[in-house]
Amino acid sequence: MTVIQISNLRKTFTTKRKAAGLGGSVRSIFRPQHQVVEAVRGISFDLGEGGRLGLIGPNGAGKSTTIKILTGILFPTEGEASVLGYVPWKERRQLAYHIGTVFGQRPQLWYHLPAIDTFQLFGKIYELEDKDVKQRISFLAEAFEIEDLLETPVRKLSLGQRMRCEIAASLIHRPKLLLLDEPSIGLDVVAKQRIRDTIRRMNEMENVSVLLTSHDAGDLEALCKRVIIINHGQIVYQDRVSNLKRRYLTTKEVGVRYARPIPKDFTMPDVNILKVGKYGVKLGFDTRQIPADVVLARLAESGDLVDITISDPSLEEVIAKIYQEVEGAKEAQA
Amino acid sequence: MEGSKSSMRRELKFLFAIWKANLQSAMEYHIAFIAQILGMMLNNAFYFLFWVIFFERFKEIRGWGLNDMFLVFGVTATSFGVTAFLFGNAFSLSDVIAQGRLDYYLSMPRPVLLHAVSARSIPSGMGDIIYGITSYLLSGYFSWGGLGRFVVGVILASTAFAAFLIIAHSLTFWLGNAAALARLLMNAILTFALYPITLFNGPAKFLLFTIVPAALMGSVPASLVRELTWQNLGGLFLGAAVLLGLAIVVFRLGLRRYESGSAIQVEV
Repeated sequence: MTVIQISNLRKTFTTKRKAAGLGGSVRSIFRPQHQVVEAVRGISFDLGEGGRLGLIGPNGAGKSTTIKILTGILFPTEGEASVLGYVPWKERRQLAYHIGTVFGQRPQLWYHLPAIDTFQLFGKIYELEDKDVKQRISFLAEAFEIEDLLETPVRKLSLGQRMRCEIAASLIHRPKLLLLDEPSIGLDVVAKQRIRDTIRRMNEMENVSVLLTSHDAGDLEALCKRVIIINHGQIVYQDRVSNLKRRYLTTKEVGVRYARPIPKDFTMPDVNILKVGKYGVKLGFDTRQIPADVVLARLAESGDLVDITISDPSLEEVIAKIYQEVEGAKEAQA
Repeated sequence: MEGSKSSMRRELKFLFAIWKANLQSAMEYHIAFIAQILGMMLNNAFYFLFWVIFFERFKEIRGWGLNDMFLVFGVTATSFGVTAFLFGNAFSLSDVIAQGRLDYYLSMPRPVLLHAVSARSIPSGMGDIIYGITSYLLSGYFSWGGLGRFVVGVILASTAFAAFLIIAHSLTFWLGNAAALARLLMNAILTFALYPITLFNGPAKFLLFTIVPAALMGSVPASLVRELTWQNLGGLFLGAAVLLGLAIVVFRLGLRRYESGSAIQVEV
C-alpha cells in the first residue's frame, strides 16, 4: 500500500519586500513591493507502508513546506498529493486521526504539566477510550524508556527526554504515518542515538511509516531506508541510503596501530598519509585507485598490527559532493 | 440532527478536557494562581471606588444610580472573566497567527478556532468572575429569577466578547500583526461597557451596539438581569449570534490566507 504519493507538487508564496532603512520602511507603506518565492518546485515521490524516508537539504530547501502540505497545514499551488488515501488540504481533519506529527522546534507537550497529562489530553483529542489510553501510555512508556519521566513537569525535562516524550505523544493514537520535522535538532549525540533507535523500533514493531526531515546526515544513516535530497525546492537526488553510500562512499579512512614504533617518514604509494604517530598511522585512499585489500595487505607487511579501524566519510561530506556535482552540471549546461 | 448532536457532544467533551488541562496547568503554581485571582479582585475594587465616590456626590446620571453600576460591573467583569478563563488564547490570537503557531492546531483533528482559543487560560479571569458575582450580589437586584437571567446574560455577553476579540485579532491574517489594534479595540469595548448607557444617544449609542459592541457586554445583559423582556433577551442573543457568526467567517477567510502561506512569514 502506498502511504504517501505526491506528484509535481509546487508551492509559491508571495512575501513582502522592503528596502533597508527607515526610508525603505516608509516607502513600503505607500508602495509595497512583493516577491514571489518558489518554495517547492515540482516534487514527486512516494512512500510505501512501513517505509522510512528521509528528506534532507539545507535551510530554505523546501523540506518544512513539503511536510506542511502533507499534513494539510498548507495547500499547494499546483500538483497532487495523497496521504493514506486522503487529499491533505481537503480532508485535513480525517487525515489527522491517522498521522502523528512532531515539529522539532514546536513543542506540543504542555510545558507546565507532566507529560502524562498531555498524553491523556491527546486521548480525548483523538477520541480514544480511557482504558485504551492507559494501556497505550504504559506500552509507549516502556518502549521509549520514559516511565520515570511521565510524572515530571515537562519544563523540568532535558531536551532529549522531552523529545522522547514528544514522539511518544505523537504515537498515542496509533498513527499509520509519522511525520517528523527535524526531530533531532539541538540534541547531543547520545540523545540523538536514543531517539533514532526508538523511532526505528516503533517502525519495526508497529509498521508505522516514517517521513523525516533533517539537517543531520546521521539521522539518515541510522534511520532511513531511502533518502531524498532537495535543494531550492527541487529533488536533486533520490535513492536507497545503501546505494547512496555505494555510489558516493568511494573514499575510505584507515587507522592502524602497531606493536612497535614506526618510522616518522612512513610512506605508501597511492594513499594519502593523514597523520603519523609513534606507533600508529592514519591514511585515506580512493577505492577506485587502489583496492582496500591491497592497502590492508601493505599495512600488515609494515609491522605487527595491534588495532585497525576503517571508516567511511560522513554523509555530510557525501551530500556536499552531490551538491557539487549538481551545481557543476548546471554550470556546464549554462 | 442526530449527527450534529453527537458532534456537539464530542466537541464539548474535548472542551472539558482542555479546560481541565488548563486548570491543572494554572494549579502547578498555586500561590501565583491565588495571587493573580486576589490581585484582579483588588484591581477591580479600586477601579470601582471611583464610581462609589462619584455617585456619593451626584446620586444619579439620567436615571442611572450606584446600584446600576454594581450590576453592570457584575455582568461585565464576570463575562470578561469567563472569556479570559475559558478562552484565554482569544486575547493573544494575533501572536498565535503571526508566529505560525496555528500549525499545531491545524495538525489536530479538532475545530481549529475552538481549539486555538481554548488552549490557554488566564488565571486572573477567575478573580474577575468572583468579583463580578459579588458585585451582582451587592447590587440590590438579586433574586433567584434574576440569578438565572444573570447566568444567561453572562454566557451571551462572553460569547459576544470572545467573538469580538477573534474578529479583532484575525485582522492579523491581513495586516501582519494586529495585536496592538486588537488591544486598543478591547480597551474601547471595556471602557464603554462600564459607562452608564444612559449617557449615550443617537450615533454614539448606535456605535456601541455595532462597531464597538460594548452594550452587549454591559447595559443589555444588565437590563436582562433587571427585567426579562423579549427585546433584551432577543437583542442580546441576536447580537451574540451575529458576532459569533462573523468571527467564524472572518477567521475562516483568514485561515485560507494562512494555508496559502502568504499571510505570515513561513519557514520554507
